Amino acid sequence: MSSHSTVSLKDQVLNGIIKENTIFKLALSLCPSIAVTNSLKNGIFMGGAVLFVQVMVNTTISLMRNVIHPKVRLPIFMLVISGWVTVTQMLMAALAPEVNAKVGLYIALIVAFASILARAEMFASKNSLLPSMADGLGMGIGFLFALTTISFFRELVGKGSLTVPTGLATDHVFTFINTKPVLLMILPAGGFFAVGILMAGFNWINARAAAKAAAKTAPAAH
Amino acid sequence: MTGKDIVKITLNLVIVYLIGGLILSLVYAKAAPQIYKNNEETEKKALKELMPDADSVEKMGEWEPHEKPAKYFVAKKNGQVIGYIVQSFGKGYSSFINTFIAVDTNFTVEKIKVLSHNETPGLGDGIEEPWFQAQFKGKTLDHLKVIKGETKDDIQALSGATISSRAVTEDAVKHGVEFLMKTIKDGSKGGEKANVQPQHG
Repeated sequence: MSSHSTVSLKDQVLNGIIKENTIFKLALSLCPSIAVTNSLKNGIFMGGAVLFVQVMVNTTISLMRNVIHPKVRLPIFMLVISGWVTVTQMLMAALAPEVNAKVGLYIALIVAFASILARAEMFASKNSLLPSMADGLGMGIGFLFALTTISFFRELVGKGSLTVPTGLATDHVFTFINTKPVLLMILPAGGFFAVGILMAGFNWINARAAAKAAAKTAPAAH
Repeated sequence: MTGKDIVKITLNLVIVYLIGGLILSLVYAKAAPQIYKNNEETEKKALKELMPDADSVEKMGEWEPHEKPAKYFVAKKNGQVIGYIVQSFGKGYSSFINTFIAVDTNFTVEKIKVLSHNETPGLGDGIEEPWFQAQFKGKTLDHLKVIKGETKDDIQALSGATISSRAVTEDAVKHGVEFLMKTIKDGSKGGEKANVQPQHG
């Protein structure tokens, strides 16, 4: 294994979820995270679609990395990405038509996600299969996690309800308050607020954890 | 760039295209029938909901509101015509609103159903609300207009979404009913394409 990456697979997965979280840390791909996260169900499905595409793209690029000519690497990355996105789109339309009606427009946009091309270029094209898959999995789960938290927060505060998917085509709506408590939160502008608030929270928790870890190791060193 | 590079680049692209095309066509072959079935089912469910009394709903033909293909149907019970259903599109704030409208034999609206749209979540998507759609019951052509504020005779606009309300009422439903009146009264039944274009605004 001529691996470029020296970290363990588990750390590679965690890297995408925490250290380089697409939304909370890198602040990339914010457009879909604001557009589709007004219900928990849509957020989860969008996140799932990105997870699938990210893993498949990383796997494909990693397998092909030794035969791709450097001059055409970007067109080839784009071809691979758009191919997998189209597959996702078709599967979604077939298996979850209701969600597709709401999220479908943004699924096509995954092609232009900076995060996916970035991982293909920076990681999968230089690393062997397993680390690349782990990286894709981590980035994808990180995105899914971010979208789930954002949509959970927005739907709960904005609509007073939570739409929990119970299957591909079924869901259950829990209604807590029957009015729209903070309508702003489910409107596009509210998306920015939600992302901002959650991003602050995410970084605060991380900073605290880092400080704790530092405090723990400091006395041990002396 | 050497000749070897050119060959490699060409092969690179050709192979990626070939494999990609192959995977896409395989998935498409599996998914397409299901997608078609899903669309049919949504439509069937809508027709059933709009004309619960009918024992048969048959397609009569097609028309093109806003240059989009739309269908219209005749609903029968024991062989007797009890009403019509027309699909229509209204130009909303950010999308064309795909609406099905059921009318009785006097062309009074019985029920409407918004099948798909892309209006602003939280505002324009109020056109999906049951109370908004229920307002259409019993409305004749003259009363298909939007009023801001309370009204019993006409259609009350959704607050903050006048454009979407108008699109459903004065574009989709009104033009759909007008089209049906014209087509059915002219007696041009069958699969003939009628040439009615809704006016904008």
